[in-house]
Amino acid sequence: MKILGLHERSAIGRATAAIAIIVIIVVVGISAYYVSTSGSSTTSTTSTASSTSSTTTSTTAPSSSTTTSTGLASGTLSITFANVPVTDPAKGSDEASSAGLANLYDSLVFPTASGTLQPDLATSWQVSSDGLTYTFNLRQGVTFHNGDALTASDVVFSMNRLIAIGQGYAYLFAPYVANITAPNSSTVVIQLKQPFGPFLTALVRLYILDQAQVIANEVHTGPTATYGTNGDYGSTWLLTNDAGSGAYTIGQPTNLESQMTLTAYTKYWNGTLPNQPSTITMIGSTSSTQALFSSHSIQITDQWQEYSTIQSLSQLKGAKLVTIPTVNEMYLMVSTKMAPTDDIYVREAMSFALNYSAVVDNIFPGCQPSAGPVPSSLPGHDSSIPVASQNLTLAQQLIAKSKYAGQLSNYPVKYFWVSEVPAEQKLALQFASDMQKIGLTVDVIQEPWLTVVSDLANMTSSPNIVSIEDGASYFEAGSVLQSRYTSAADGTWEQNEWLQNTTLDNAIFSALSIQDQTARFQAYGNIQQQIYNQFPTIYAFDVYEARAYYPSVVNWYAANGHPIVLLGYDFYFRDFQFFPSQLAALGS
Amino acid sequence: MKSWGFILRRIGYSVVSIVGLSILIFVIARVLPGNPARLALGPRAPQSAVDALTAAMHLNSPIWVQYYYWIQGIFSGNWGISLFTQRNVLLDVQEFLPATIELIMMAAIIDLLIAVPLGLVAGRYANSAVDNGVRILSYLGIAIPSFVVAILLQLSLGYGAHMFPIIGRLSQASTPPPTITGLYTIDSLLTGNFGDFGDAVWHLILPAFALALGPIAQEARIMRSAVVENLRRDYTLSEISHGFPETTISLKYLMKPSLIPTVTIYALDISAQIANAFLIELIFNWPGFSRYGLNAMLSKDLNAIVAVVLVAGVMFAIANILVDLVVGYLDPRIRLQGRSEE
Amino acid sequence: MKSGRSLSERYGRYWYKFRRNKLSLVGLGAILAIVLIAIFASWLAPYPSSAGLYVNFAAAGQAPSWAHLFGTDQAGRDVLSRVMFAFRYSLMLMGVVLSITVAPGVVLGLIAGYYNGRRISTFIMRLADIFVAVPPLLLALSVASVLTPSAINAMLAVSLAWWPWYTRLVYSSASSIRNEDFVRAAELVGASRWHIMFKEILPNTLGSILTKVTLDCGWVILIGASLSYVGLGAQAPTPDLGTMISEGSRYLPAQWWITIFPAFAIVVVILGFNLLGDGINDMFSAGIT
Repeated sequence: MKILGLHERSAIGRATAAIAIIVIIVVVGISAYYVSTSGSSTTSTTSTASSTSSTTTSTTAPSSSTTTSTGLASGTLSITFANVPVTDPAKGSDEASSAGLANLYDSLVFPTASGTLQPDLATSWQVSSDGLTYTFNLRQGVTFHNGDALTASDVVFSMNRLIAIGQGYAYLFAPYVANITAPNSSTVVIQLKQPFGPFLTALVRLYILDQAQVIANEVHTGPTATYGTNGDYGSTWLLTNDAGSGAYTIGQPTNLESQMTLTAYTKYWNGTLPNQPSTITMIGSTSSTQALFSSHSIQITDQWQEYSTIQSLSQLKGAKLVTIPTVNEMYLMVSTKMAPTDDIYVREAMSFALNYSAVVDNIFPGCQPSAGPVPSSLPGHDSSIPVASQNLTLAQQLIAKSKYAGQLSNYPVKYFWVSEVPAEQKLALQFASDMQKIGLTVDVIQEPWLTVVSDLANMTSSPNIVSIEDGASYFEAGSVLQSRYTSAADGTWEQNEWLQNTTLDNAIFSALSIQDQTARFQAYGNIQQQIYNQFPTIYAFDVYEARAYYPSVVNWYAANGHPIVLLGYDFYFRDFQFFPSQLAALGS
Repeated sequence: MKSWGFILRRIGYSVVSIVGLSILIFVIARVLPGNPARLALGPRAPQSAVDALTAAMHLNSPIWVQYYYWIQGIFSGNWGISLFTQRNVLLDVQEFLPATIELIMMAAIIDLLIAVPLGLVAGRYANSAVDNGVRILSYLGIAIPSFVVAILLQLSLGYGAHMFPIIGRLSQASTPPPTITGLYTIDSLLTGNFGDFGDAVWHLILPAFALALGPIAQEARIMRSAVVENLRRDYTLSEISHGFPETTISLKYLMKPSLIPTVTIYALDISAQIANAFLIELIFNWPGFSRYGLNAMLSKDLNAIVAVVLVAGVMFAIANILVDLVVGYLDPRIRLQGRSEE
Repeated sequence: MKSGRSLSERYGRYWYKFRRNKLSLVGLGAILAIVLIAIFASWLAPYPSSAGLYVNFAAAGQAPSWAHLFGTDQAGRDVLSRVMFAFRYSLMLMGVVLSITVAPGVVLGLIAGYYNGRRISTFIMRLADIFVAVPPLLLALSVASVLTPSAINAMLAVSLAWWPWYTRLVYSSASSIRNEDFVRAAELVGASRWHIMFKEILPNTLGSILTKVTLDCGWVILIGASLSYVGLGAQAPTPDLGTMISEGSRYLPAQWWITIFPAFAIVVVILGFNLLGDGINDMFSAGIT
């Protein structure tokens, strides 16, 4: 037997030393890499800078010790959203982005709870009698967040930029705006190609950027510089910064994957309000809402949770469940160009086979059945269109008349639902189980939102049906008709029907050009009838959002019966009152 | 020396595989239907912008030309635009990679701290109650999928006992430390902010533990069987008969030889953690590279997917080369040791 | 080399080595039970319609009771029945993936091992290296994500990630066995290449292949569950353990049964295959003591 002690010890010793040296080299190497690139990388954060909230309780007076010297409430108001906002005014258009835009930027006009418009950046305006020329007088003394003065040339720049980039809300303006000029620094003149009745309402979505700041941050090389002399039009810089004049500005550098922080702009032209939150965190993910709300890390939930979850959250101490009307509708958009849904009898049969009351009672409590393509709460809705309801006998008769009758099993219906909205799966299953009763096979497939958007871009990759919630971008029925049912919407996420119907296009555009509101609404009614009779969509329900929040901590106008039913404007944070000290009273 | 040739050849093989992998992924990404330029700009962008971007991305050239430009882009820092974050993928990788590295490092530390003593004790007292307990734990550890472990931990220790935070890297109220390495723990130590350090570690524990459980189970078993094996050896017997104290035998003479196979598996497991981290980061909402990659895959964000697979491949290759080096270095010793025992 | 023992004696010896460790028997029992449940699910399940397009939202989210031993899920379906049918999908995934990866992988490994040093061997092994350049879960995720989510595409993705491991395993055994005396002897005698590969080399690698196959059954199911967890596997309403865990996690902690029972089921399956694999490893290990 050999005595191996010495040999083996030194061998193992050397091995250990070797491993240690390699590990140290790797660690040093990685550290060196990060040190050398730290100047160019952005910080990743999941938290916000905030002062600790004081422990004294206060429910009323603006001069309480929980507010800063400017009357703002200290502490951070946090809310979950489906995604992190895209706050480039030429690109963002979903709910989170619209909420972000409404706070970071100003428009010429501002929507109110009653649906009328009030002056914002424009103090007054005149419309020519032919409806083609709009003249706006701008408010004096408005400054952007960086101190630059807001002038008419910024408005001109913003419109041109919006149309050039062509995303977000540009579709509202691109077909109509002929040109926009600034005869002097406080007047803006917009010439339209054709009269556009709702133009003023649509102008809410023109958000004004600081021309000088955007131009200073344009990138002129690389893959994003596709706008000629304007390079990338500042779009890279605008991913994490804002060039606005609104009540809030972007706080810390944004972690694009998880959240965005807004800080109150104390020099806002309209001033600040007592107990206005000084810092807002918009968290761009709905997967941890339950945990965050129960630990008071957020004070208002998103609306994408299961109803049972919202109910149990609202049972927590100090929490309340609130159902807020919207101008959104859940559409099952049916492709009119793919078998078997290209047959009108199949589509009509499907629309009478779905058990709407089960959907509204069990899956989406609080919502209401729809009546046609326009949500019932939207001005211009045609009340003669029947409310959707189930009629299985009729459905079976209808499907027997279709050209696919008898061979339905050879034509499965491909149904996409958006995986970020789990309740849509239940809707899909309900739909599939109801369609079984008239002999249709439904293949239920879940896809993440971005995949849905890219699949809907082509007719071949579009499914037969996709369930998407959509609504009005300005406060009239025409908004829905324009964004959903014109050919311009082909290939966007707002239309899977692929109608490509020029008669309908013409009808919609001519209705939109009517100046007189009554006549315009009449025209809207006719269009809705036309659309309804084609059965291109199954109108599942009008959306009422269910959320949980802490009423003693945040006084929210939308929950108190004054919702502004325009996407994003329920979150105009300047009108919130925030009492973070109340959180302590709720325990943690 | 022979080793240098060995090292160079190993590196050469890895480079070839990574190149092959890049071709594979690139072809898959480009062959799919859909115009990448149109996808990047969105459906409502004007056609002129789409055409400009198509030309800039060389999409009308043959595929090997596109591959050449893409490789050129990779080396010059232009990794393509991510559909999700709308910016250069390289920036995304730089932002999110530190979080994942921190998670994996913590998991590695927890792994070592638990697996080695566990295996040592189980082997030393083989067939006792402790040993059986460890064996059962290790079977369970291997069998339970990592996402199940994560959910269970979140449920019991997070929701239930409120002992650990459920998501995120830091509490809502904390500011992250200034970026030196991007790893919150190291940065906060370097800047002397011990409060943040504690907070960051506290947030790390649950996800790191969930990540480490599988490897712990595996390595404890291997450590145990190595210890049992070494216990039978003549030199251990001689140490016992010479009257060496219990602890000295365990810690000094048993542990080192038993560590050799364990360390091999340990290194392989660590290098595989980058894949396991995908689901853990999803469940704990950890803003890391793996979750970014998962989001990219689920959103068919092709530029990001390609970049993620490549970065993961490179990291995996580096880890494997290191493992091979270490094992290759140790091997002659083991062979020497074994032969001279006969 | 196997000497002249009778068949029953040889298998008796294998069985003895297998059943020495009680845990291997537990594994065998568990797997047999699961296979039987999967085959006879339609008869064994109390509510077989729950595995299909059945919805009953009024009965959703009921806690475990005598009527529903595992409770009902978010759509009102019986969780126990769905778990039973989910075994079918898991076993099917495992069967398909292993059958299309083991045979080609082994054959390629044999060729690479036999021709070790020649160009074809290098080519095969470099090709395998490309597919193992990233961890298998990552490769499967990437491939599955660029295809439309479905059960078949998930199987395809997992197979692509899996085949090189067999090639490598067989290659390392084959390339060393290739130089043994008995192989040289066979060559001298003039045996054909195929004979050598399949009759001389392969039987000696069979032990490690079989062990790996059994262990892989568990791993493949695990990777399949991971794919389903992120939504890339079988689509609703097909019951699948990974999908059930993922969907159920949204209802934690109040309706815990929707996640916990499928999680428990998947642990039993993987554990069973691991124990079985250990037993098979014991079967082929040298020596009785």
